[in-house]
Amino acid sequence: MTAPDPSGLVGAARHVVDGALRLYGTGPADPATSWARSVLHDARARLDEPLRVALAGTLKAGKSTLLNALVGERIAATDAGECTRLVTWYRDAPSAAVVREDVDGRRATVPFARDGEGLRIDLGGIGDPGRVGRLLVDWPSRGLAQATLVDTPGLDSIRETNSRRTLSFVTPDDRPSGADAVVYLMRHAHRNDVGFLEAFADLAQGGAGGLGAVGASGTVVVLSRADEVGGGGLDAVTTAGQVAQSYREDPALRSLCQTVVAVDGLLAETARTLRQSEFTALRALARAPRAEVDALLLSADRFTVAEPPAVVAEALASDPDGVRLDEPARRALMERFGVFGIRSATTVLRRGARTGRGVVDSPSLAEELVRRSGLEELREALVSRVLGRRDVHQARSALLAVDLVLGRAPRPDAGPVAAELERLLSGAHAFTEQRLLAALRQGQVTMPEGTAAEAERLLGGDGPGAAERLGLAPGSAEVRAAALEALDRWRVRAESPLTSRAAAEVARAVVRSCEGVLGGYGS
Amino acid sequence: MTDHPPGGEPSELVELARRAATAYDRPDLEKRLGVVSRAVADDRARVLVVGEFKAGKTELVNAVIGGRALPTDAHRATTVPTMCAHGEQPAVVLVRGVEGGVEQQQISPTDLAEHVTERGNPDNRAGWSHAEATLPRPVLEGLRLVDTPGAGGLASPSAVSTMAELPGADAVLVVADGGRELTAPELALTRTAAAVSPTVAVVLTRIDLHPHWRRIADIDRGHLDRAGGERSDGTGGSSLRAVRIFPTSSALALHAAEDDDLPPDTARELAAESGIEEVRRLLVREVAEGRQARRIRMVADEVIVACEQFATAFRAERDALADPQRAQRIAAEVERSRAQAASLRDRAARWQQTLNDGVGDLVSDIEYDLRDRLRAVVADAEVALDDTDPAKTWEQFAPWLHQQVSAGVSTNVVWAEERTRWLAERVATHFAEDGAGVLPPVTVAASPDGTGLAADPVSMLAAPDHEKFGVSQSLMIGMRGSYGGVLMIGMLTTIAGMALLNPFSIGAGLLLGSKTLVDERKRALRRRQAEAKQAVRRHVDDVTFQAGKNSRDMLREVQRTLRDHFTTTAEELERSLAATADAARAVEADDAKRTARLADVEAELERVEHLADRARRLRGRAGSGSSRSSRLVGA
Repeated sequence: MTAPDPSGLVGAARHVVDGALRLYGTGPADPATSWARSVLHDARARLDEPLRVALAGTLKAGKSTLLNALVGERIAATDAGECTRLVTWYRDAPSAAVVREDVDGRRATVPFARDGEGLRIDLGGIGDPGRVGRLLVDWPSRGLAQATLVDTPGLDSIRETNSRRTLSFVTPDDRPSGADAVVYLMRHAHRNDVGFLEAFADLAQGGAGGLGAVGASGTVVVLSRADEVGGGGLDAVTTAGQVAQSYREDPALRSLCQTVVAVDGLLAETARTLRQSEFTALRALARAPRAEVDALLLSADRFTVAEPPAVVAEALASDPDGVRLDEPARRALMERFGVFGIRSATTVLRRGARTGRGVVDSPSLAEELVRRSGLEELREALVSRVLGRRDVHQARSALLAVDLVLGRAPRPDAGPVAAELERLLSGAHAFTEQRLLAALRQGQVTMPEGTAAEAERLLGGDGPGAAERLGLAPGSAEVRAAALEALDRWRVRAESPLTSRAAAEVARAVVRSCEGVLGGYGS
Repeated sequence: MTDHPPGGEPSELVELARRAATAYDRPDLEKRLGVVSRAVADDRARVLVVGEFKAGKTELVNAVIGGRALPTDAHRATTVPTMCAHGEQPAVVLVRGVEGGVEQQQISPTDLAEHVTERGNPDNRAGWSHAEATLPRPVLEGLRLVDTPGAGGLASPSAVSTMAELPGADAVLVVADGGRELTAPELALTRTAAAVSPTVAVVLTRIDLHPHWRRIADIDRGHLDRAGGERSDGTGGSSLRAVRIFPTSSALALHAAEDDDLPPDTARELAAESGIEEVRRLLVREVAEGRQARRIRMVADEVIVACEQFATAFRAERDALADPQRAQRIAAEVERSRAQAASLRDRAARWQQTLNDGVGDLVSDIEYDLRDRLRAVVADAEVALDDTDPAKTWEQFAPWLHQQVSAGVSTNVVWAEERTRWLAERVATHFAEDGAGVLPPVTVAASPDGTGLAADPVSMLAAPDHEKFGVSQSLMIGMRGSYGGVLMIGMLTTIAGMALLNPFSIGAGLLLGSKTLVDERKRALRRRQAEAKQAVRRHVDDVTFQAGKNSRDMLREVQRTLRDHFTTTAEELERSLAATADAARAVEADDAKRTARLADVEAELERVEHLADRARRLRGRAGSGSSRSSRLVGA
């Protein structure tokens, strides 16, 4: 596929990697050189593939569930206990297949089956699961066209090997990170979560000091399991949104990620894969007397008991659709929606039935539940912060690979490649923006408060789009005027003798960003 | 099991024994019994509620006490430990250590959230060591329920204060979310708790939201059963099989307790489903009453010991009165025992050696352990500083260092506590073994039914309460004052001075700039790294000094307490034997007077033995906690 490359960065990075490959392609095949070759080949291949986005986080944060929600199909298996034990890649392909790659690099196609709960993969008679390196799942899906999603085992697991697999995928010792970007899931911002995020951000720093904490630019933090915040009441996801907002402003997290969003992964997954039978079941439930249904929904156990109260049973029995909400059916509903999901669904269905507008059928219910789950905000954040900056993330991964190779397997004739790498790392405006953003967020540049916030925004801190940079509504007609106005103001600031050196550098970068906006606008 | 009000039979028995001590001219025993009766008066078990932050600890405490007395919030966590105790009027007192004492401030219970959560007191900037809430909730009788700030929040290094709270707790509830199996940090916390507290339980919360909580509970059961034997951090080791799991839903319990419109049947069902009843039963029946039963056994033992001391003298006198020819021989034998008792007081006595050597060894072991742990932290820190520019990373580095240092110190404290307890028990054993031959054989031989002192000779010599966690726990509680942890928290505030430690005052200009300035930047970087390393070492030195001083002080205190306790016991014994010898010698020559005196003595003896019997029966009702006596007799 041909990747969009608005900044020309991918092309430039490809050129650098090719140069390095020519360099290391000759000479003796000692271990260092063959290692360098394999790293560079990987880096080169990655530039032509979709972006690699890893879903990482602590145990039971809901990584597989969110992966299914993003794809819109139940492919990653989920379970109450610790479930994902191997790093599993899900990539778009013309036909479905599962390949097991062992730690020694050997690959074998393994059988799999799909049921309602995701793929059941048969590891294919390998005695020791510790020998499996990763699983590669080829799956034809539009949801995977833009990015290859990588599901990882939970960090902080009692089974330490599982956690180690994730760390060595995202932050390996002897290679660039396996991921171009990370969606980090957490229940609350735990100190350990911050520790992992720091490790991810640090790795991107990887020796190329000039790049700064670029890793933060490829990280989106998700406050998953938003439905459980504050006891799973109807306002749970809203409350979680407020919590996410406060994390976005928290200095400890701000410098480690692009943004923080709250998502109810389970509701998102279910809504995106909603079945007609589930819709009719929920509608029947919404028609039953409200007080009794609410009492039934006080706890998961009550909802799934063998016999619901007579009033509810009667109402269900006389349902015009003839829905039989027996125990297995209720169990299945609870499994798919959770307490919060059923509460939300019955509430919107009741309102829809009362007013005759809004949620009245299965598609509108799915849409409303997706909206309530917070998945849309996450997708927007992913598109604008991660997928929309594919060029930057991929070029960074490739250049870091070259930087690593030049550092660990030095060669006397590497001068020209090193110079070109250096020129790109310190010269490309996209990287300058990221570096200065990190510096601003870590408070390393002293600027008046309002000014610093505007600088962050203009440098793309709220998103790389022109309107986002200028703080305008998307598609606003005032973009050009606002950009010109900002350009003038920041040019004055950049040239003022009273501006400190560091602040002047920021101001110059802001001026370039404004010019970029104007250029893009003109074209 | 024990229906007595706090001032019931135990107090009555102690009072009787005290009056007897005064009547028989034994002020030493009277004083000792006075201490006992005061100790029994404050008889509340300390229960800690610990766990990762936002696990639902405060909500659980509210559910257990049956109402939202403590502030909860979907987002903001508790930052100050809050102790809940029973009282007629709701009241809250905030406590913090200040130079040379403690400061207390009374606040209105409705303002609690302003002081103990992130809302009004983020990072516990106000520096309160804890809050004490008095609530008119019957379930709290006999309990001090401590809600702790969770481990691992963004804002506070609370993991440390949690660890520091653990020793001396009668029970620890480890709170974990019912939606996922225990994580590695949670299991580690459980293991540490089990090493220092007699009752530990895992409480799963929010089972109303998690349809799969039963499976999670099963998985956790498996984790706990397998966890025994691992000894990764040197603090655990005993199996966690005994740790029970309580699935609960605070929301259901509170709903049942607070919604007045609910039909009573529904409210009962909800309360039953919530599982909170089981937790209450654990706290009230096992923890509070278990502690009370231990205390009652202690009181009974003390009364029995006092009675035996009185009785010894009377029996000797009776035997001498009955057979004046034997009087001198009896006196001589008692005198020999007295000399042996006196030697127990000697500085050269074996238990004294054990104590002095043990404390000496412990001081150096604990200090070595602390140094070793902190040295590892410094090494890690230096490696980390070598790889980064401290000016950029210090903000993240300082809290990391803080946490590592604090973790090292608290692990050391927990370990020190275990070793100290072990030492106290060894000293008690040696004292009891050496004293075992002291009891005058004559009295035993001369008792008509041969029972005499044989009832429980060792209990006379034993320390007040020998069960697991007994001796040392009561010592520790004495040192900690009414609330544990103050000792440690005083130390932790000095560690918290960390925030002021930033050695960097470098203009931002140096941090940016292009790569042409590489050399200059490299030099500056190296200087910053060196400065940072020096700051780390200085800080760790300060902490080592302060923590080392604290543990030495703690051990000296233990040494003093143990020495005083056993010396006093030896003195009492000696005094009893002296009185016995005197009584045996002072036999009247006049037959009539002798017969009259014999009747008196037998009457007194009967009274004393009746009191001892009552104490023994009380002890029997309070359960047989101690198998120690028989072990020592057998030895």
